[in-house]
Amino acid sequence: MNKWLIPAVAAVALLSGCSTVQRGSIPVEDSGTAVSNSERISANGGFRKTTVKRPVQAQTQTQAIPQGDTGVVVMVPGGGAVTSAPISTSPITPGPITPGPIDTSPVQSAPINQGSYSMPSTPSGIPSASAGGLSADEQLDGPVLALLTTAQQQQASGDLNGASSSLERAQRVAPREPQVLYRLAQVRMAQGDAAQAEQFARRGLTFANGRPDLQASLWELIAQAREKQGDSSGATLARQKAKVSL
Amino acid sequence: MTRTRSPRTPKKPPSRGLHPWLGWALKLSLVGLVVLAGFAVYLDAIVQEKFSGKRWTIPAKVYARPLELFTGQKLSKEDFLTELDALGYRRESVSNGPGAASVNGNTVDLNTRGFQFYEGLEKPQPVRVRFSGDYVAELSATNGSKLSVVRLEPLMIGGIYPKNLEDRILIKIDQVPPYLLETLVAVEDRDFYSHWGVSPKSIARAVWVNTSGGKMTQGGSTLTQQLVKNFYLTSERSLTRKLTEAMMAMLLELHYDKPEILEAYLNEVFVGQDGQRAVHGFGLASQFFFGQPLSELKLHQVALLVGMVKGPSYYNPRRNPERALERRNLVLDVLQEQGVATAEQVEAAKKMPLGVTTRGKLADSSFPGFIDLVKRQLREDYRDEDLTEEGLRIFTSFDPILQMKAEASVNDTFKRLSGRKGSDDVEAAMVVTNPETGEVQAMIGSRQASFAGFNRALDAVRPIGSLIKPAVYLTALEKPTQYTLTSWLSDESFSVKGADGQVWKPQNYDRRSHGTVFLYQGLAHSYNLSTARLGLAVGVPNVLKTLARLGVTREFPAFPSMLLGAGGMTPIEVATMYQTLANGGFNTPMRGIRSVLTAEGEPLKRYPFQIEQRFDPASIYLIQSAMQRVMREGTGSSVYNVLPKTLTLAGKTGTSNDSRDSWFAGFSQDLLAVVWLGRDDNGKTPFTGATGALQVWTSFMRKADPLPLDMPQPDNVVQAWVDSHTGQGSDANCPGAVQMPYIRGSEPPPGAACGGEGPASGETVMDWVKGWMN
Repeated sequence: MNKWLIPAVAAVALLSGCSTVQRGSIPVEDSGTAVSNSERISANGGFRKTTVKRPVQAQTQTQAIPQGDTGVVVMVPGGGAVTSAPISTSPITPGPITPGPIDTSPVQSAPINQGSYSMPSTPSGIPSASAGGLSADEQLDGPVLALLTTAQQQQASGDLNGASSSLERAQRVAPREPQVLYRLAQVRMAQGDAAQAEQFARRGLTFANGRPDLQASLWELIAQAREKQGDSSGATLARQKAKVSL
Repeated sequence: MTRTRSPRTPKKPPSRGLHPWLGWALKLSLVGLVVLAGFAVYLDAIVQEKFSGKRWTIPAKVYARPLELFTGQKLSKEDFLTELDALGYRRESVSNGPGAASVNGNTVDLNTRGFQFYEGLEKPQPVRVRFSGDYVAELSATNGSKLSVVRLEPLMIGGIYPKNLEDRILIKIDQVPPYLLETLVAVEDRDFYSHWGVSPKSIARAVWVNTSGGKMTQGGSTLTQQLVKNFYLTSERSLTRKLTEAMMAMLLELHYDKPEILEAYLNEVFVGQDGQRAVHGFGLASQFFFGQPLSELKLHQVALLVGMVKGPSYYNPRRNPERALERRNLVLDVLQEQGVATAEQVEAAKKMPLGVTTRGKLADSSFPGFIDLVKRQLREDYRDEDLTEEGLRIFTSFDPILQMKAEASVNDTFKRLSGRKGSDDVEAAMVVTNPETGEVQAMIGSRQASFAGFNRALDAVRPIGSLIKPAVYLTALEKPTQYTLTSWLSDESFSVKGADGQVWKPQNYDRRSHGTVFLYQGLAHSYNLSTARLGLAVGVPNVLKTLARLGVTREFPAFPSMLLGAGGMTPIEVATMYQTLANGGFNTPMRGIRSVLTAEGEPLKRYPFQIEQRFDPASIYLIQSAMQRVMREGTGSSVYNVLPKTLTLAGKTGTSNDSRDSWFAGFSQDLLAVVWLGRDDNGKTPFTGATGALQVWTSFMRKADPLPLDMPQPDNVVQAWVDSHTGQGSDANCPGAVQMPYIRGSEPPPGAACGGEGPASGETVMDWVKGWMN
């Protein structure tokens, strides 16, 4: 009879052992639910929240916006703004001419017209008041300035991929703004890709007519990129161009 | 099991009071208990193992480009609202809460949802967009402060699925909309919060309700049992299966709490079938049926989803809308009866339409051509399992608005040309890119754009005909001491003996020769004789080298017939080639993917923008100028029957022998499109490049309304006044004088000024030049 009991007891012991886990506790971190679709920012704003011990009745739909976000903040970049070229660009005609109601902000005749984001009718120029002591970056249009600023912050914190990505975003917004291409070239340099740095600087030059300071900076960057690639004669050539531009 | 059969040695005599048969019964029941216990241990291991690990494999999700908003952006209100509709924004009188939008004249207020991008988090925020014409005139927060740039969340355009796959968007229990949990419990399992996995009460009630012919709103299974059935077991129906299910349900309840089980249920439940793809979980169901994130659903939508659990196919709101509506309203009645919602709320919800997205709208379209491109690029970097199981998030450059316009252009044009004999058998492919970024924005691989299958945009290798010609002329224009746009070319017939001994005798399309023409005219009018002569003069191998520098990696034999496009290329290869022409001579590898994030939103991989200068901008400036003349005065001039003259475009027609292939490739400043029409069996079509592909292209450009081409003039290019008949230097006020770009030093010496009179008008074929060059 006892012999009969042994396996039974063993089984029961094993079972109870298994079932001593407290109700509600989760033995293993659930990696499945971390894959939630909560890039749509949820109420708690987090991705990894897994404990669900709240009473279900208390489920409510709150849409608190997480603080300390990375929203676009317009500010003057600390460094990086190497040039102080005024933003008068090459003689590009504005996009489709639709008489639009851009209102009466002070408008200069020099259009900041970079490809796909030309202004409706009167291209917004730089308010003459601000043309004085501000850095070149600051004179850029709102979205480009904001994105360059973000990229600057990302680069400063060592996130070169993020900076690169933000600059490419800026390039999509203003594909023909040479300052964006210049910054892209700088970040490629920082990433150790001298060949691409040179290419972006060269692309920048094709859009930098009439902006001698920026041209000089671009040539200087090309010179550095060529040095990195072991092309010292090419670097010398670029340095000469940099001097001519100024 | 075997242990119970082991020999036994009794230590004690059996107690006297027991009958032998009673002892046997006891023993047998003990055996049964042990067996059952062992089985329970086994089940328990299964229950815990699967529930605590990674519960589901999730296919990679592919997202379109996020729509960027900023002041001065070219975007029509109509396109913007199309995008909002596709993203499932609710139209409300006042926008409150994420995913809501209100339209007042030219102003749209909306609350964005926020999204995790590669570059960081885009927070949800209220935004006001004011439109003027086709531009964003102002972007501000609703309190009036200016915003510089805002991104909407991107449209999900597909996934990387293996065949016969379960798909889901995982949700957390705190992301569910109001009423969802209450409704689910009220309809499926009223005792959910009090039972231990099985509910004898609800089984009894189900039996009673069902047999007494009442409303069949109650099933016998608890939510836990339903979860166990779907999660662990097959759909086999048997008593053992039912008992196993009950045991597992109790074991599950033993280890996990109610919200945890409910959350798993919300993600596991089957709600519909989409072709090969099984739609699981309320997260995906919400996107699949309403095009909205689950958290934003309203009472009537919640009721519909919960009602569908009972029979996803029977109550499918797209196929069986009446049944679905009846079921939804029944669920709403239950909610009122159970006190979950008030009579007023239920009454209001019943008045709402089903609200499911309709086929053909952006939210409910598939884009197999582009997804195919994405898959191929991903397969170079990832294993199939990574793509189908890890829930990766793929961010692409796909522009759904341009895609819809491209598809509409193909459909409209075929409809318009349907009278042409044989047009029904003609297939189509199209590639749309942004030449300034090298990104693919839209792709059509089949005339029926929603059909997955042979992707002609990527795989149809067809003779490109005259599309090759810009490479011939560019090769010449790179030698400014020998060739300018106004060099004279002979367009007389000739024949050459090729290296293979065959005699090659090209002909013009109209089978006539045109005497002596300007170099640019040979391209503009696509004259074969002058082009072939020029190509032979610069050398076929040099033309092929130019082609390679333009980005064509395919190798071609150096036969003279290559000069007129005998070589075959795919539409995407043509796009790569023209991209370099459009982008100032900088080549860009075509990109469809921008970045990849992990399921948790961590950056994984980036596909960076790369460029390489392959040509001096000056020669590109000249070839663009000649390609603009294709549109103004040459084979592409029909575009200006439809498009405004102010829209400067450059492009080239292509027609292969006997009109087997109809091509057009061309670009504006910010948009490049390649269109191919032809038959899969390579038969003759009723179309030339101009009468077929160009018509689709024109229709597309009219819808897309791009920016005029405007390449900055390089330093080493000068504009010179020349006589439009002789090509000699002239003066601005001479009759017939036109401005032409030249690489510095190659321009003709300036001509003498002509007295008094301005240039005569209405005399030459090049009068338009003045209007255009002004």
